[in-house]
Amino acid sequence: MEPTRNSHATLVDLLDRVLDKGLVIYADLIISVSGVPLIGVSLRAALAGMETMLEYGMMTEWDEHTRAWESEHRKKKEASIASGER
Amino acid sequence: MGLETQHSDAPGVETVAEEGRYLYCIADAGEKVSLGEIGIEGNEVYTIPYSDICAVVHHCPAQPYHSDDPEVVKAWVVTHQVVVNAAWGKWGTVLPLTFDTIIKGESGSTAEQNVQDWLKQEYERLKGKMEKVRGKAEYGVQVFWNPEVTAQHLVETSTGVRELEEEVATKPRGLAYMYRQKLENLIKQRMETKAEECFEDFYHRIRKHVDDIRVEKTKTAGQDLQMIMNLSCLVYRDRCAELGEELEKINQMEGFSVRFTGPWPPYSFVESA
Repeated sequence: MEPTRNSHATLVDLLDRVLDKGLVIYADLIISVSGVPLIGVSLRAALAGMETMLEYGMMTEWDEHTRAWESEHRKKKEASIASGER
Repeated sequence: MGLETQHSDAPGVETVAEEGRYLYCIADAGEKVSLGEIGIEGNEVYTIPYSDICAVVHHCPAQPYHSDDPEVVKAWVVTHQVVVNAAWGKWGTVLPLTFDTIIKGESGSTAEQNVQDWLKQEYERLKGKMEKVRGKAEYGVQVFWNPEVTAQHLVETSTGVRELEEEVATKPRGLAYMYRQKLENLIKQRMETKAEECFEDFYHRIRKHVDDIRVEKTKTAGQDLQMIMNLSCLVYRDRCAELGEELEKINQMEGFSVRFTGPWPPYSFVESA
């Protein structure tokens, strides 16, 4: 299958990346951006029809579980690479 | 850089501090060029170089962009991405900044100078991050299943579930209700196990084709779809097709579907500096 970046269909994917990801600078010369998370939240609330809000439903525990699994898996893998096993 | 200090009656810190530079990304090029008036609110986007890297910026007041109108914010965010994308296309390797990152002028030095000092100070780390993402792009991979199809499949194939279902039919009404509850719980439990198995299986299959993976939180999907996996993948550009083939196999499985988005600049693989 081919990846898509059709601007309408992937707006949520774009917002997730630009608002939540990307390089974050921690330095004194960065102006206070305390308003930014709010921008994200209010924007998402307004776009709720597009299902951008995370909802913690039936699969929450499972979701955390798989994320934990992945993180363990990654650590083990990194450890084995570090110790030169691979 | 005359602008910041031209008010002779107030030659101090204050005038300098009012200025800022909005940062879109750090690019792998040491040139000073203009990308035209493609920035947020039509601002001219240009580069501030240090050595062989540069910051892609526009000139702005030293205060964060803020609006209560989601349409306005949406337009800003989309423009941010348009600029990052233009730089990505032009120079091939970029480190995208998160939205609304502004470097200010401070205690006698201009915003422009501060950007340059910051590039200098972080140079090694920035170059290291660029090496990590060079020649690669980010793709979003989301796997969904149809819970009804999966549940039906479980009822048909899983012995415990099928037997319990048969039992429900033989019970008088009051008891049947209890049994149905029990059945629902069992199906739910089995589905979670199944989702975990699928996750691990797909993860290993996808991992083979990508350079790095971030596991994101799953989100609510449409009515008859449930997201069981949400990944950001860092992929060598020439391996995108093989990843697509692997995803197509998952997409073909009954009750499953895959959403494959990108290429994105590597937002999920640059982290903090």
